Order: sequence, then structure tokens, then C-alpha cells
Amino acid sequence: MSASLPPVADQGALFRRLRARLARNGLRVLLETGRARLVTMIATSAFVAAFTFGVSLYLFNELRVNDVPFKGGIVEALFDLLFFTLGTMLVFSTGIILYASLFTSPEARFLLCSPARADHIFATKFQAAVAFSSWGFVILGLPIFVGYGLISGVPWYFYALLPLFLLGYVILPGSVSAAGCLLLVRYMPRNRKQFFALVGLVLAAGALYWLYRVGLGFRRSVATAGREVDDLIGQFAAFRSGAVPSHWMTRGVMAAARGDLTGALVPLAQVWSNGLVMFLIAAFVARRVYRTAYDRLSAFGRAKKIYRTGALDRVMDALVFYLDKRTRVLVVKDFRTFRRDPTQWVVLAIFGLLMLFGASNFRQYAAADLAVMDKYAISLMNLCGTSILLCAGLSRFVFPLISLEGRKFWILGLTPLSRDQLLRGKFAFAATGALVVAETLILASDALLGLPGPGLVLHAVAVAVIALGLSALNVGLGAYLPTFKETDPSKIVVGFGGTVNMVTGLAFLVAVIGLMVVPFHVVELAKGATGGAARAGPWVYAGVPVALLVGAAALVLPLRAGARSLRRMEF
Amino acid sequence: MIDIRTVTKSYGPKVAVRDLSLHVPAGELFAFLGPNGAGKTTTIKMLCGLLFPTTGSVSVGGFDLRTDGDHARALVSYVPDQPFLYEKLTGREFLQFTADLYAMPAPRAADKIDEVIELFHLDEFVDDLTERYSHGMRQRTVFAAALVHEPKLLIADEPTVGLDPKSIRELKLLLRKLAAGGMTIFLSTHTLDIAQELADRIGILDRGTLLGCGTMDDLRRQANQDGSLEDLFMKITEETPETTETTPVTA
Repeated sequence: MSASLPPVADQGALFRRLRARLARNGLRVLLETGRARLVTMIATSAFVAAFTFGVSLYLFNELRVNDVPFKGGIVEALFDLLFFTLGTMLVFSTGIILYASLFTSPEARFLLCSPARADHIFATKFQAAVAFSSWGFVILGLPIFVGYGLISGVPWYFYALLPLFLLGYVILPGSVSAAGCLLLVRYMPRNRKQFFALVGLVLAAGALYWLYRVGLGFRRSVATAGREVDDLIGQFAAFRSGAVPSHWMTRGVMAAARGDLTGALVPLAQVWSNGLVMFLIAAFVARRVYRTAYDRLSAFGRAKKIYRTGALDRVMDALVFYLDKRTRVLVVKDFRTFRRDPTQWVVLAIFGLLMLFGASNFRQYAAADLAVMDKYAISLMNLCGTSILLCAGLSRFVFPLISLEGRKFWILGLTPLSRDQLLRGKFAFAATGALVVAETLILASDALLGLPGPGLVLHAVAVAVIALGLSALNVGLGAYLPTFKETDPSKIVVGFGGTVNMVTGLAFLVAVIGLMVVPFHVVELAKGATGGAARAGPWVYAGVPVALLVGAAALVLPLRAGARSLRRMEF
Repeated sequence: MIDIRTVTKSYGPKVAVRDLSLHVPAGELFAFLGPNGAGKTTTIKMLCGLLFPTTGSVSVGGFDLRTDGDHARALVSYVPDQPFLYEKLTGREFLQFTADLYAMPAPRAADKIDEVIELFHLDEFVDDLTERYSHGMRQRTVFAAALVHEPKLLIADEPTVGLDPKSIRELKLLLRKLAAGGMTIFLSTHTLDIAQELADRIGILDRGTLLGCGTMDDLRRQANQDGSLEDLFMKITEETPETTETTPVTA
């Protein structure tokens, strides 16, 4: 016999209140104890937005100088490509975040054991995932279109409609991604590895073929004139169909730019209405399959895997040959932990491949006498990108190492290993990895770009100083400002010590690049602009010794402070 | 209150629970014992509606967890061994959220929140954010939240982990009191003393199969020996050959 039916809560309102309360409390804590973190977040976002705005202004100005019509076919094709690319990125990023929050988070497990309805759990997780994944989209998208508006001269409502367009657009890819994620988990074939490998291969092959066709069309259109431009635009035809949401965005934005308000509002309504309908479909799918998908994912179990020492471990062991045996064992242990967790290195791998792909393409464009982009500007961007990636990567993975070690320090305490050796081991691990990755990326991309010898040497030295300095900063400050109570490395990174480390690291790499590399590039760019009239004096290299001193300070001071602090610690 | 019928649960090729049948009436304190990997947590997850049986059915209060899960889950509270709390809520806000989630009328919720705060001695920290709580404070808050909506069935997985001896003593008294008041309690534990002291009936699970189930006297008869629960547990689990499938007990 059934018990009486329990009352039903208004769960929509309940979860809205929960989100509001979490946001309010989170903000209060941030203002009370994490101002440095808040300022860093705002400053970093402002810096990225300002940089994007500056590049956009420059590129749109180039279009004006070359008499390309601002409201015509070429710009429209570029916007189509931009929206399509950003939409695709949103699909993947929202899907990944949503997968983690729906299927692996303790909160999802807690809510699934309660009477919370599956579609309400989904909706609350969806909103968080979309807000998180679209942050970058807004930070990058707004400056590009504001830059476009300023250069091309648009009516006021172009700016007013921009946020509505961008906010509306994140719902549709997010919903598609959410529904796809749920259905994939629910109906995924049992041999997941083979399935994903096949899908990945098909997507990669398609993308490479398309990029090849675009590259071909681009070279032809620059080398010649006339019909070939149409050929190039033709490569984007698939994104320009009236059925593709990214094209609704382009149509709306372009209509607003032309002063056609009605023409802008219709695509805007199309973007919002389709996004909201797709969200309802995704919520319906969640209601039907979320719980069974969760069960199915658990029921897969984990295949038994035997882990052994790999060839890469032996390479790492050989690279730190100068250390004593015990410290080497520690370094190889850290490296093994790192390589067995793909989430730690996959971003690095993707970035590296994209950078090399871009540099290789640039060489082909240069061969076709394409002087739109300068190799000095590109190589400087590569250097900055690699340095920022090093800074972010080391802060995320190396800074928390000592804090995490602290909880089980008694294990290390029982081994015949001094605390100085422990710190040296962490530094050797970080510095070896950072040097190998950064030097490989910079030297390979510079060689592909055809950068001359002095530039190549300068970059190699600069990136070595940055890799060693950042490694020492992260290891030293990690020991100086540890957080032993926390077991989640991502929380250690965003704590006080992590924020200080991130800000110091960013300041350090700005100083090294500014002193050592920027003057050289400024002169080379000036040479290009003046047809070789500008001359490089010895002052171009005046910053190098200063940068080396800054690098030496970054290498010695944090490690010394960290070692002193570690020796004093009681566990 | 709990009706588990010929349930088997597989994780890929591995069978976690095999042909389990179990009936626990309202107001009973049932202890579930077994070595690590025996299938206790899987059974609990199926009782909470987090997982579904591969074959068979699980009902709580007459509601099937697969077809009528929302209603079944409204009767259940689950206290896991790793308690979850929203880090950016205070203990009181978490209790209020739980009461609202179970659609308690506001005046009743306010009274119950005050009651559980007093019962679990939360008053000193209940208005702090839970991110500052120790493990023991978290465990007490989760227990308070589990009881705030007056569930018909309380499921607790290793509830004494992280509690000090005084809190353990208070918890044991509370569990007995709740069972006497008509609440069904399903306890999974490795602490045999607690099971022997508190439980009306005890189920022993090993490698997914229910090997023994009943009162202490029933288990003694089944093991054909006298002694403590520890002796009976060792006898029953050691007698099971590792390689052959055993016939499950129906309870």
C-alpha cells in the first residue's frame, strides 16, 4: 500500500532563490576576503577586451585603407565565419562543462537523491554552464563589434542591440550542446573509446579539408583579383544559408549597422525564439533521460587498466640527470601524475598544434606575396601567447603541488629526503617541462614563420628566462603561501596565495617581454612600414641585461623564501 | 517501507548486487553489513533513486523508484559518507533550502529548523558559511538537514565517521528514538558494535549476495554458533567460497 502523496514544491522558484543566495553570499565573501582576486579577474578581462578592441580597430582600419566596403559581402562573410566559430566553441565548451556538472559533481548526486525534478536540476546546471562558457564569448565579441561600429559609423541602436544579440546567441548553441550531451550519455554505444575516436577523426578530416579549401581560395584571391574572391566567399556558403543561426546573427548585426532597425529586429527575434525553444527541448530531453543517463554512465564501470612505467618517464628521468637519485624519483612521480591526467595537458597540446598550424599557414601566405600580416607581429603574438599559457599552466598545476603534498607530508617525512630536496625536485619538474614545451613551440613556430637568426636567438633566450622564472615563482610561492586545508587544486589556485602568484607571474612576463623582445619587434615593424628607412641602434638590446637580472631575481628569491618557509613548517 | 525484489545490478561485466530480495517494514532499524565492495553502497544508491536495478524492482513506501521516483524520493533522506553542503550557504540557509525542497509549510519548517539546530547543537556555527565547517560540523549539519523534513525512511552510510564519541553516543540514542517513533532506518556500517547494539535486524552482504539476514538469534542459528556479531560476521562471510555463486537469502 502506498503512503500518501507528498506535497510538491515550486522548484523553479526554489532554484532561482538558491542561485541568487549563492551568488549574493559568494560576492560578499569575494568583497570581504578576495578583493585581490576580484581585481585580478576584472583587470585580466579588461586587458583581454582592450587587446581585442585594439586589434579589431587596427584590422577594420586596414579594411578602410584598402577600400573594402564595411557593409558588403566580404565583411558579412567574415562575420558569418566569426559567429559560426564562436557558436561551435560554445557548443563544445558548454557540453564539457555541463557533462561535468550533471554527471560527476557532488551537487548533482545530492539533488538526484532528493525529490528535485530532473528538468529543474538540468535547468539550474545549464544556466551556470552557459554563463561560465559564454563569459569569453562576450569579452571577445563585444570589443570586436564596438570596434567595427566605431570605424564604420553606425547608428546608436547598433550598440544597444549588441548585448541582446550576443546574450541571445549563447542560448541556442548551449541548448543544442546540452541536449546532445544528455542523449549521447544516454544512448552512447558501449565501446566509447572507439566511438569518440571515430567521431574525432571524421571531424578533424572535415575541418582540415575545409581549411585547405579556404586557404587555397584566400591565396588565389589575394594573388589575383575578381572572380577568385567569389570563390573564397563560396567556401563559406555552408555558414551563410538562411537556416544557420550564425547567419541570423550576421544579418541582424549588419542590418543594425546599415540603419535598418526592422531588418535587425527580425533576426534578433529569430535568435531568441529559436534559442528558447531549443532550451525547452533540451529540458524536455533532460526530464526524460537525465536520471537514466546518470544510471547508464555509472553502469559502464571502469575498464581495468594496468599502468606501467612509460618511455616518457625514462626521458624525464634522463632530463634531470644532474639531480641525486632520490630527488629524481620525486620528479618522475610528479611527471607521471601529470601525464596520466589528460585534463592537465590537453589544452597545452591543442594550443601548440593551433600555433604551429597558424605559423605554417603564414609561410604559405607569405609565399603568395601576402603582406597583410607581418611575421614579426605574428611571432611576438606567439611568444606572448606561449608565455601566458605557461603562466596559467604553471599556476594551475605547479603552484598547488606543495599545498597538496602537505596533507600527506608524513609520507615524505618518513623518506630520507630533505625539504630542500623536495623543493628542488618540484622546481626541476616544473622547469624541465616548461622549458621543453615553450622552446619547442617558439623555435618551431619562428622557424615556420621564417624569422631571421637574431630574432630566433632573442626569442629562445626570452622564453628560457620566462620558463625558469615562472617555474621558480610557482614553486617558491607555492611553498611560501601554501593552503594545506584545501584538497581541491583549483581552489588552491584561486585562493590568496594563488592570486598573488598569478599577478606576480603576469607582471614578471610583461617585464621580461617588454624589456627583452618588444624593442626589437618595434624596430622591425618600423622597418617594414618605412620600407627599410628605420634603423636599429644598440639601444634595441639595452633591455636584455636588465631582463636577465629580473629573471635571476625571479629564480633565486622565491625559491629561497619558499625553502626557508618549508624548513620552518610543522606538519 | 522498503521492498527490494530480486534485484540484480551490474556495472558492465561486474555484478555488484545479485538477486537481492529484502523487505524492511516501517519503524524498523535495519543494519546492512558487508566487506568493502560487497554491494552495500550500490543497494543504497538504488534505494535513493540514484541508480536503477538492471533487473528486479525497488520500492519505497509503495512507490516504485523507476516509475514513480519523485514520490518515492520525497519520503527518503540519505546521509552519505561524504556529506554534501553548498559551500556558499550558511547551515541555516541549507536547512531552509532542504525544507523548501520537500515543500514543507513555512511555519512547520521554521519550527523543525529550530528543533534540529538544538538537537544537533548547531547553534554556535549555523549562521556561518558551510565552507568553514570541520568534518564533524558538516556531518551534523547534513544529519539535521536529513531529518528536518521528517522523512519516512532515513538511509545513512557510515554515519559515525568523523563524529566524536559524545556525538556518536547521542546519534545512537537518536536513531533508536526515531525508529521507535515510526521512522524506518537503513544503516550501512562497518562498525559491528553499533549494528549489534542498535539494529532490530541485520543483513550481511558479500560479493553482491545477501548471505544472512535477521535478528542476532536468527544469525546465530544460521551460523550455527553463539558469540558476538563479529564472530557471526566472520563465520558467515568466510564460509562463502570465492569462486562459486551462493544461494542468496530472502528477507
